[in-house]
Amino acid sequence: MKVSIKPDHRALAEALRRRVLEGPGETPPRLRQASAERAADGLATEAPYDDLARQIGEAAHRVTDAQVSSVLAATGSEKATFEIIAAAALGAGLLRWQHAMKALDEVINASA
Amino acid sequence: MRLPEIERGDGLANRLLIRFISMASRMRLPDAARVAFYHKDFFGKPMGAWTQAAMRGASPWSVTERELMACMVAKWNACAFCVGAHGSIAAKEIKRPAVDEVISDFHAAPISDRLKAAMTFLKVMTLRPNDLKAEHAKAALNAGVSADALTDAIAVGALFSIITRYADALDFALPTTAEFERAADMLLKRGYAS
Repeated sequence: MKVSIKPDHRALAEALRRRVLEGPGETPPRLRQASAERAADGLATEAPYDDLARQIGEAAHRVTDAQVSSVLAATGSEKATFEIIAAAALGAGLLRWQHAMKALDEVINASA
Repeated sequence: MRLPEIERGDGLANRLLIRFISMASRMRLPDAARVAFYHKDFFGKPMGAWTQAAMRGASPWSVTERELMACMVAKWNACAFCVGAHGSIAAKEIKRPAVDEVISDFHAAPISDRLKAAMTFLKVMTLRPNDLKAEHAKAALNAGVSADALTDAIAVGALFSIITRYADALDFALPTTAEFERAADMLLKRGYAS
């Protein structure tokens, strides 16, 4: 018999956040965290990461080859560049996850 | 910008796997799958685990309803690849004209009121996350969306806020309509876990 278990989204989101922003990689976790924060309307970070992370957060369909190339030149590695892109995308996604779950939790707590 | 290493695969095993799947499916393996294989321990594994749970795990929403949510988040983020990919999966069940109606104006489309309510919430979450308030969640609950269902919808919204962003930053190649349909069959059969 197939047993369907309700997903624990909070745990899955946290596991993703921890791995991408705190785990080992080719880039320092500090740089990934700064890129994630920048894409989530956070403070500016160092060039050239700032421009790419900001653009990914605001409107990723407008990311230019030059923005990615600059990060590739700075990191010297495609894997490191991918880590920055993934971290920035994650930052924008987790911002939405946190705001949405906060809104829902407020309703649930108010009616408890 | 495309990264050549994602295009060809990192490591011999992944290169062979990409070639084999492309050959067996008679189409270029879509970039979404190439990214899922790339630097897998860093991103593909934890991302795939959450995506598989949200899109195929137990939920008050059907697979098609969740694919439609993904498609709409992609539309709001102007991600042509994800609109095509997830619209094609939904079209396997509700047919293309209905999917197009949802994409064009979900309020007037032939979908349930609770799905419309979830999409209304997801639209604010996608476009104006800082404006999200308890009243938005309350409106969805009042329209018949349970707290569990809204949580599942929020997970889909968060995941596709991530996926659309790296898809566009990495300039995913746009498959043809026929290729999207073949990829949709693959995603319905195999799911999202990498």
